[in-house]
Amino acid sequence: MDLDKLLDISNQCIHSEPPTCVASCPVHMDVIAFVSEIEKGDFAKAYKVMENKIPFSRLIGKICDHPCERVCVRENCGGSIRISELEKSVIDLGYMPPKKPLLMPKTKGTVAVIGGGLSGCVTAVELDKKGYKVTIYEKTDRLGGSLWAHEGLEASLIEEELSTIEKKGISVVYTTEVTEQTLQTYLQQYDALYLGTSEWSKHYTIHPQTLQVDDSALFVGGKLQTQNPSVIFSASSGKRAAVSIDRYITKTSMSASREREGVFETKLEFKTDNVTPVESVEKTSAYYAENEAIQEAKRCLKCQCTECIKACVHMQRFNITPDSYIRSINHNERIVLGTRSANLMINSCTECGLCKEVCPIGIGMKEIIHATRQSMVERKKMPLSAHDFALKDMQFSNSDAFSLIRKQPSKEASKNLFYYPVIAFSAYARGLYKGSSKTGYLFYPGCQLSSTHTEYIGDIYKHLVGAIKNKDADNDVGLYLGCCGAPADWAGRLDLMPESIEKIHKTWQEMDEPTFILACSSCAATFEKYLPMIKTISLWEVFDTYGLPEVDIKKGKRELCIHDACATRHNSKLHQSVRHIVKTLGYTIQELEYSKEKAKCCGYGGLVSNANPEQAEDFVKDRIEESEHDVLVYCAMCKDALVKGSKRAYHLLDIIYGNEVNQDEPQKMPTLSERQNNRKRLKYKLLKEIWNEEESDMSPSYNFTLHLCDEIVALMEKRFILLSDVEKVVEHSLTHKERFFNPQTSDYLARLRVQNVTFWVKYEEQGSDITVKDVYSHRMEVVED
Amino acid sequence: MNEQTNTTTVWMCDKCQKALMSQKVKVRYLEGNFEVELLKCPECNMVFIGEDLALGKILEVEKSLEDK
Ligand code: SF4
Ligand code: SF4
Ligand code: SF4
Ligand SMILES: [Zn+2]
Repeated sequence: MDLDKLLDISNQCIHSEPPTCVASCPVHMDVIAFVSEIEKGDFAKAYKVMENKIPFSRLIGKICDHPCERVCVRENCGGSIRISELEKSVIDLGYMPPKKPLLMPKTKGTVAVIGGGLSGCVTAVELDKKGYKVTIYEKTDRLGGSLWAHEGLEASLIEEELSTIEKKGISVVYTTEVTEQTLQTYLQQYDALYLGTSEWSKHYTIHPQTLQVDDSALFVGGKLQTQNPSVIFSASSGKRAAVSIDRYITKTSMSASREREGVFETKLEFKTDNVTPVESVEKTSAYYAENEAIQEAKRCLKCQCTECIKACVHMQRFNITPDSYIRSINHNERIVLGTRSANLMINSCTECGLCKEVCPIGIGMKEIIHATRQSMVERKKMPLSAHDFALKDMQFSNSDAFSLIRKQPSKEASKNLFYYPVIAFSAYARGLYKGSSKTGYLFYPGCQLSSTHTEYIGDIYKHLVGAIKNKDADNDVGLYLGCCGAPADWAGRLDLMPESIEKIHKTWQEMDEPTFILACSSCAATFEKYLPMIKTISLWEVFDTYGLPEVDIKKGKRELCIHDACATRHNSKLHQSVRHIVKTLGYTIQELEYSKEKAKCCGYGGLVSNANPEQAEDFVKDRIEESEHDVLVYCAMCKDALVKGSKRAYHLLDIIYGNEVNQDEPQKMPTLSERQNNRKRLKYKLLKEIWNEEESDMSPSYNFTLHLCDEIVALMEKRFILLSDVEKVVEHSLTHKERFFNPQTSDYLARLRVQNVTFWVKYEEQGSDITVKDVYSHRMEVVED
Repeated sequence: MNEQTNTTTVWMCDKCQKALMSQKVKVRYLEGNFEVELLKCPECNMVFIGEDLALGKILEVEKSLEDK
């Protein structure tokens, strides 16, 4: 993984970009922190925020010409935030006298400041702070220059504030005028010189960034440099000159990372389309009273880009945006010794791609997370337990227990259907009669739909044969049961992809390149990514084009909200087909705020429900809170997730086959064990009913009967323990007598290691009846010798 | 993994009909190899791991080894 490239992306994220007000403030007062403190009523803290950036804040805060307000994005929504008024009121309510300064040795060098006006005082104080011995030369008998001319400032206040300068140990030489002639002597005498007078006899060319004159030790600031009467620009130039002088004397780069000194342009473009206008608060006395200030502060929009985190509960859970997310990934990837603390976070992204859709500059975490997981796998740093269960389940799907490839039953083999009245009434029989033995289409329902909507698969297949052959006699419809490999892709297990992909590819070639009919959005995404040469079409588009199954449809009248599958976000044809089908069936559609290209994930994506079930629950909760209506989905996993979150959800197939009934009955989804069993059963059933092939039942039989109450079943789900695991433990314990006994309760406790997990089962034995009382597992291996 | 809280138990080995004893046992996961005190049958060496231990300390150690 190219971490440097990744960090570049992180730098593009504008989450930490300042709002326009801060960027336009020459000294970058942190307006958001400032108003936030006011909002909390903490005026002392608000003052600290001011003090942090504004030199002589008690003075400047009262007379600042506030360029920040001119660019405030609130302007057209009730008027700019009155930042300068707030500053005045904060000085009034929150000013605290500074602590006695610590007198530090001034050994870094000597600087002369010519002119004791505002900018000169600022430079002097800043350099003093940095450890320089500073001398101010002032032509009059007092510091402050044009400050005295400001009406808003009382003389006593100016005196009090400026008196701090000499207390710090800065020398001031009064009534001493420096001229162009004497300047050279000062330049000899001091390490550097700051010129901050309001007028000067000679015109110098001043470097706009460093305020330096040529390569000399002379720096010019204040109104001479800014060429405008603004106090805050003047103060800013004083601060910047101090930075330059420090760099000059310490011989560090004069220009490195100074692009954002003074006023700059922020990359943040805060949209106010959805902002309700609120008029600014009018003050009832000279300054905002406490309450008025709080009200005015509340109007501030705290401008910041949070588009992605607003849309994504994953980022919310980890309280992170791509800028810091990427930095954590970078750290996690580079760490050599120690804990990779970002692992859980990286495995909690559903790779849904929504962030990229909402980001104004198109930053997406999906590809980044995916590459990170691959890199973790390659470096053997992927936590084993995160995806182990899902990968074993995928292995099951691709084993003989489920995997099945068949061409359409031949005409020869279907002879017994071709008689009246079957042939007249069954489109399927007519489809078989037209058999061409060229597989033009291959129906690929996918492992999840087969697991949870098992009963529909055979009917769909027959319908496809009937409907497609009716319009397109050349092309037969075959069937392919298996798993596309999406779980391996999500887990970053590139090494496991060929198992699925190569088999699909080979089959496709051998069958003369049929079009795959896909019913699962994740399959579609996997095919697009790994098998781009294969032409695919969604089952819904086929239904929409070739006709819906003819079932006795009681036309629905209800309103359903459509939860689009996130993996289909860019497939607008599919979205259209789905909506068309739903309307044809008589339902009205409520579109959710996050739909189509902005679809939100149900929480199954990225195997998050395996790696971090709590995070998956966040996704479900977030999704179902979007609407009161029942939800319509067209992905088996979405339905599973939403129903588990106690939301009434129907699969498109449910309404097509008229099964959106019994609305009071709680919905239930099959357990993990039932899902495997359903897949096995489906293969068995289809082979028998459609291809007339009888397979021997491969499931092992035991001579005990297991009893599991609902609580135990729920526990098994939560702990990812399969019924077949429990059976194996019990069987092993009965045959080998390897078990513990509790004489007080008469319970047995047995364990068995299956692959890389040790399963424990506590049970009660009564004859051949085994009642399970507890199940748990661990991965740690115990060496028994 | 050095402390094992329950050093006694009513559970006994069903096959050997022996009370369990606390003894040093080798456990391993990923790159980690440890010796810990666990309850086991003195005769057939079958090691007892209760639910609290499996879902508590053991899980914790598994997780931290996975993130190493
Ligand atoms: S709304 Fe607040 S944060 Fe945004 S520009 Fe105005 S003052 Fe600054
Ligand atoms: S869960 Fe989706 S929206 Fe959130 S970071 Fe991952 S890809 Fe982006
Ligand atoms: S949407 Fe998110 S990633 Fe994009 S700029 Fe804003 S904070 Fe950054
Ligand atoms: Zn024993």
